Amino acid sequence: MRTVLTMRMTSVLMCVAFLVGSGMAMERVPDYRELKYPRLRDIQVPEVERVTLANGMQLFLLEDHELPLIYVSAMIRTGSIYEPADKVGLASLTGTVLRTGGTTSRTGDEIDEQLEQIAASVETGIGRSSGSAYMSVLKEDIDTGLPILADVLMNPAFRQDKIDLAKVAARTSIARRNDNPNAIASREYAKLIYGTGSVYARHTEYATLDSIARDDLVAFHRRFYHPNNVMLAVWGDFETKKMVARIEDAFRNWRKAQVDVPPVPEVKYEFRSTVNVVVKEDMSQSCIRLGHLGGMMNDPDYFGLMVMNEILGGSFTSRLFKNVRSRQGLAYSVSGVYGADFDHPGVFYASCQTKSQSTVHATEAIIEEIRRMTQEPVTDEELALAKDGFLNSFVFNFESRGEVVTRLMTYAYYGYPADFLQKTKENVEKVTKADVLRVAKAHLRPDTVQILVVGNPEGFDRPLSTFGDVKTIDVAIPQPAQGQ
Amino acid sequence: MRCSIVRRVGPAALLAMLFIAATMRGQDLAGFEKRLTEFTLDNGLKFLILERHEVPIVSFHTYADVGGVDTVTGITGMAHLFEHMAFKGTRTIGTKDYTAEAAAMAKMDELFDAIKKEKRKIGGPDPQKLKELQDQFDQEGQKAQECIVHDEYEEILTQQGAEGFNAYTSEDATQYIVSLPSNKLELWMMLEADRFAYPVLREFYKERDVVMEERRMMENSPMGRLYEEFQAIAFLAHPYGEGVIGHMSDLQTLTRGEAVAFFRKYYCPSNLTIAIVGDVDPAQVRRLADKYFAGLPSGPKPEPVETEEPPQRGERRVTVEDVAQPVVLIGYHQPNVNHPDSTVLQVISEIIGVGRTARLYKSLVKDKRIAVSANSGPMLNKYPALFMFMAVPATGHTTRECEDAIYAEIEKLKTEPVLPAELAKAKTRSRADVIRQLDSNSGLAAQLTFYEVVTGDWHNLFKQLDQIEQVTAADVQRVAAMYFTTKNRTVGAIETTSGEKPTTGAGI
Repeated sequence: MRTVLTMRMTSVLMCVAFLVGSGMAMERVPDYRELKYPRLRDIQVPEVERVTLANGMQLFLLEDHELPLIYVSAMIRTGSIYEPADKVGLASLTGTVLRTGGTTSRTGDEIDEQLEQIAASVETGIGRSSGSAYMSVLKEDIDTGLPILADVLMNPAFRQDKIDLAKVAARTSIARRNDNPNAIASREYAKLIYGTGSVYARHTEYATLDSIARDDLVAFHRRFYHPNNVMLAVWGDFETKKMVARIEDAFRNWRKAQVDVPPVPEVKYEFRSTVNVVVKEDMSQSCIRLGHLGGMMNDPDYFGLMVMNEILGGSFTSRLFKNVRSRQGLAYSVSGVYGADFDHPGVFYASCQTKSQSTVHATEAIIEEIRRMTQEPVTDEELALAKDGFLNSFVFNFESRGEVVTRLMTYAYYGYPADFLQKTKENVEKVTKADVLRVAKAHLRPDTVQILVVGNPEGFDRPLSTFGDVKTIDVAIPQPAQGQ
Repeated sequence: MRCSIVRRVGPAALLAMLFIAATMRGQDLAGFEKRLTEFTLDNGLKFLILERHEVPIVSFHTYADVGGVDTVTGITGMAHLFEHMAFKGTRTIGTKDYTAEAAAMAKMDELFDAIKKEKRKIGGPDPQKLKELQDQFDQEGQKAQECIVHDEYEEILTQQGAEGFNAYTSEDATQYIVSLPSNKLELWMMLEADRFAYPVLREFYKERDVVMEERRMMENSPMGRLYEEFQAIAFLAHPYGEGVIGHMSDLQTLTRGEAVAFFRKYYCPSNLTIAIVGDVDPAQVRRLADKYFAGLPSGPKPEPVETEEPPQRGERRVTVEDVAQPVVLIGYHQPNVNHPDSTVLQVISEIIGVGRTARLYKSLVKDKRIAVSANSGPMLNKYPALFMFMAVPATGHTTRECEDAIYAEIEKLKTEPVLPAELAKAKTRSRADVIRQLDSNSGLAAQLTFYEVVTGDWHNLFKQLDQIEQVTAADVQRVAAMYFTTKNRTVGAIETTSGEKPTTGAGI
């Protein structure tokens, strides 16, 4: 504790500061409103070279000569949405062991040594709706790195010891999945929105892991990993023509094949109001999430929703940030975004972390902000802030060449037009206050939200039943079968 | 995030910043020197400008040489709280009527002091009196609120296209960052100068509530709980033992007067360094720096922390009894980043604890399968800190098993010379890691300020290379033997007390 003397002294200092300030500030500090900005130099959008190889593999190439480095990023049409319900975790294991399990001609450990000696990396994985592979090498090592990447994609050996190792890691993350309250909130919220068994919400259990065998990995790879099912983005310090020849050579033994990739599963959602709690008695703070299903990026309302997101909860200047954090001091972390995905509806959720004693109050404050969004138009200033912010920062979409080329590949992967970014800009420019209100009314349902709180109800300001019947979600982890 | 707390521990990406190999050095140092302009204003404010013209954008990095380490018992958390306050505007930005606002804030400060005094009364506060004071405090708060133009400072930059607009407080530093389209250079110069010339700590008492929530987030994470306990026992005397976030009781009692005094002491121009990287003309930056920053009143560079950590007399150990799964941290006291042994420790870390072919990964994860991760990293700090090890046990295995396996690898470092191939690999990887980090404006700005302030010269970003190249197997052995002793060790572990707590609906 400071002494009284010190406190007095500092108050005196402060008063002096105020006196000095009020007289001088106006002359000394020019007004930012009077600044004239020079016109921003035109952005040179680098031209990406697109090539399709004879075996069907699609390449996106962009030279970047600033540093002596070369990168490859691949997308493979696959995903955990295609794994059977009793083998959840298969896609993820396949994606991991593809690299760690080595190839028919070298073990994973040998690959580790080879790569680390030249400070290179090759990594693979499989996510929800795509597989990925990544390579980074110093330019002079391209003829070591690229053949390893190709070998891993074409000839993985899925050695049993590395499957076992990956299972140790997977089991350990199951055991640890309730340690972090935010992780619980995001996992359980997805189940509320998509349904427990949905491919967009389900997760690995000991039982599903135990049912996965090496043959499953081999078959999963064989089903999806064919050149005509792969896109590669390549950027760095190379000459495009020579790089295409190198890639052709590295993948020369990979033949086109019939690949049957089913369409992405659809989402059925019925709007409903629910109140859910996960009890964690060790918590002094609640993790709150509430909302409902979101949308897709190919919805014509997407651009209006982007502007709405900025105003509602997507930034440091959003309403949620201002009112829940800055004005009321209720939370450090608060946000709210109507989520849109490329190929399936995302989730709309607002979230915050607040002390147990303000749980219900903060929840009400968040719902109120969502409701206000649907009831009255945003102000001219809010609209201008959101649109100008987006348009003025548009140039950052071209900050790195890697970003430019991987964005183009991602659009192609999901069947979006190559100029989708440019279209987004043009459409955001057109968004009006009426549009924001219209899309908010059409897409936000503040009166039918699902509420999830992870926390300790004994400390709550009021019972959660304020919002309706409360369902307690049991997050106890189903234990592995005997003998595991 | 705004004010998330960065600790310079561990992650390979951060450690790698320190390395660069000789082959890189020739071409790139020359290239850098050509593109880098530095100058210091008369008031002591230093600028580093690096030109990168490909895209019309620019990153700004203001490095204040003050962090958690400078906020002693009683005002712990102040460096970080001030960082939050630096977004609240100035005497002209964020207010409709500064005079009225200042008067209301001054009354709030007096009332806050009176409330504190009342609460401290022997025999307890008079509830009636306390309520009156609190009501008056709220009324004055309301008056101040009415003068405020909310969030104006943040909105100006956001509207003009800011990216990565944020700030961070660590043990050693407080860093303010933003990137803008390059035609907004003058706007940034004007606003940044204004906020460090005439900051107004408005909404102070509300922002403390926000910081308390930030503290609770840390407390509600198992790693946060462990690290706080670990830090506290690792340091007996040095303020690195206190977390940057501050103790809850200090946060509850910090005053705006204390924050103003803190600002006056630590935010004088001689204690600030600014890096600007991107599409700018250094001559124009110089003109604008003279125009906007030259008026910042100079002040003496604050004295460094003089408290030194005394040698440890024996191993220290803390066990956090927790519902979470086990984790173990091991720390050995080591010298600061400018000591020659720091370079050797960085090489040691590459060999033992970074990557898939590192010794810890091979032993604990691949071979014994007792851990799912096992890493090491030296803290690259201004004052002597710790060389850290961390292991996450695999299910069914214990922190003790992980500790023993780590100690076995440490013993090998002391008794057997590392292989030439291992040493070469560590050097190559370090070099490449640095090259990979030279491609972003904001990353470069961060590195330039770190090297300039903490090591005294930005050139060390490259000169480190020579030192790395010179590290020998004998150095590794000597340094491992010197620092990695039982007596110099602190161990912190989470031990699971009751497995998973039952999840019942009690109390709803």
